[in-house]
Amino acid sequence: MKRSIGTAAGAFLIALSLFPSTAFPLLYIDINAPGGKRMPIAVADFVIGRGDPSLSRGIPKMLSDDLVLTDLFDLVPPTAHMETVTGAHFSGKPLSFSGWKMIGAEAVVIGLAEVRGDRLSIEMRLYDATQGTLMVAKRYTGTPAQLRSIVHRFANEIVYTFTGVRGVFGTEIAFTARPENSRGKEIYVVGMDGQDLRKVTANRSFNLFPRWSPDGQWLAYTSFRTGNPVVYLRNVLTGAEKEVIRFGGSKTPGGFSPDGAWLYAGVSQAGNSDIYRVRVVGGTLEKVEDGWGLEVSPSPSPDGRRIAFVSDRSGSPQVYVKTIGTAGETRISNGAGYATSPSWSPAGDRIAYTARSGGRFIVATAAPDGSGHREVASAPDGDCEDPSFAPDGRSLVYTFRKKGYSALKIISTDGRRQRTLVSGLRDAGSPAWSPGR
Amino acid sequence: MKGTCSWKWAVLALSIAALMSVGCAKKQTVKSEGAQAPSAAAPVEEAPVKEAPPAATPAAPPAEAPGVAVTEEKLSQFDDVRFDFDKSVVREDGRKTCGVVADYLKKHPQAKMLIEGHCDERGTAEYNMALGERRATAVMTYLVSLGVPKSALSTVSFGKEKPLDPGHNEEAWAKNRRAHFVLK
Repeated sequence: MKRSIGTAAGAFLIALSLFPSTAFPLLYIDINAPGGKRMPIAVADFVIGRGDPSLSRGIPKMLSDDLVLTDLFDLVPPTAHMETVTGAHFSGKPLSFSGWKMIGAEAVVIGLAEVRGDRLSIEMRLYDATQGTLMVAKRYTGTPAQLRSIVHRFANEIVYTFTGVRGVFGTEIAFTARPENSRGKEIYVVGMDGQDLRKVTANRSFNLFPRWSPDGQWLAYTSFRTGNPVVYLRNVLTGAEKEVIRFGGSKTPGGFSPDGAWLYAGVSQAGNSDIYRVRVVGGTLEKVEDGWGLEVSPSPSPDGRRIAFVSDRSGSPQVYVKTIGTAGETRISNGAGYATSPSWSPAGDRIAYTARSGGRFIVATAAPDGSGHREVASAPDGDCEDPSFAPDGRSLVYTFRKKGYSALKIISTDGRRQRTLVSGLRDAGSPAWSPGR
Repeated sequence: MKGTCSWKWAVLALSIAALMSVGCAKKQTVKSEGAQAPSAAAPVEEAPVKEAPPAATPAAPPAEAPGVAVTEEKLSQFDDVRFDFDKSVVREDGRKTCGVVADYLKKHPQAKMLIEGHCDERGTAEYNMALGERRATAVMTYLVSLGVPKSALSTVSFGKEKPLDPGHNEEAWAKNRRAHFVLK
């Protein structure tokens, strides 16, 4: 079925917060304490007022999968649950908290879902089982197709309630890969949980360097579909496109200013790449960083005042930071003979980059003043490259390559937990994590 | 119609929520958030929706426009100019090749030569894209120094995207760090 503009506009999610919640979240879980205690949580079978009865287990499974990914929770298995949640629990009947505590749950989620035609309504509640208090409750209304997105939202709510930082469920990662039967590269988007993989471009040429706008609606990228590289902005919802940079030779979009007004890019002229920025609404290129070296990969700081970028002015590519509009810069990479692709953390306190170390590429982070270097991802038999921070700053997506094999992996910034996001696509690379949703 | 109905419902819910939050901000416990769900509204594109705007094609792409950048590498009567890792200096062997190309272009003043810059697979795609451009430009500059008019030459970088040899060893990398000549 084709989706008309009308239904797209009607496909709004409405979420109602049903009960008072504390003005400031209590920090039950300290996300900055590595290896800290996980919160034991139970997600009870949902009450299905109307609709597919398998949702009773299906929705809790989706929610549990999200919560497990955070590494903040331990899920109490459904087989251990003793109390059957019913509709009465949504209209005044208290849960048997002692029972939930007995099976080890310190928090309990219950839910009530109804599907009527093309309308889905879900109420979800999070209880503190030790105190017997309601922590957060929301009712969401949308279409059945929005089920996953609704579950992601409540998962974000739960993470926020416990940590004070919004979760990243529902965010996406854009990247490039070579489709089968094509020598070109297309841009793909995948959910941060590895679901909903889709191809964004399909022109069989080279489509490279996807970068998200701060509102998450646009991707800037370079396409060779006319034979020469041109930077386009593409609306990921509508597919609408506009050209933003045609001037110059090679073009490598780096990132947007936090207000979304500017796109920063490396653009070469007469063989020499410099850092430029262009107004997204249209306008001429402005040079931001000039030099006799080759300058690429501008990553604006979250406050928009500085950029991290790569220059080979010292004889090899290294990462520098400068305040926009001023002269002079600080080199932040050290020791490595080759350091590229900086990505600024959402909080502004770290910069991730690719470094060459012992003949291999690794992902490292450093403070913007060049202090506190830390190795985050490395492999004895492969290369780890192209880091991009999650919007909550807790993890990074990067490219893993080994001979002909490539994969995108997500690793916590302390390097302790890691999972594969995408594998099986040829030459997957250049991942960019979307802003929060 | 169902769609209209749920839409109205949504507006109503939003309005009520808005009224409530304005009306009794302190005590009111119902807050609302309305947002477009990106996954539901996002069209999954399988076929190209829009190709490049044909009105704006400055450097007249070759006739087989779709996929021009990804067809098998056009065989060239000229050898590739090879480069050292992370370098764009035209070496002695490359200068010889450039000499052959320069002679040809001087004998054929109508000919137009595209110089493609390429890199090996190691390192970051963005940096390699700029490095390929510098390699192509280094060859162009050298050809100009041999008396080839600049108007006969153009450059494009493919970075590390179009390897000649798909291998993952030094031998393949050496072949892939190249400037490739394409008569237009």
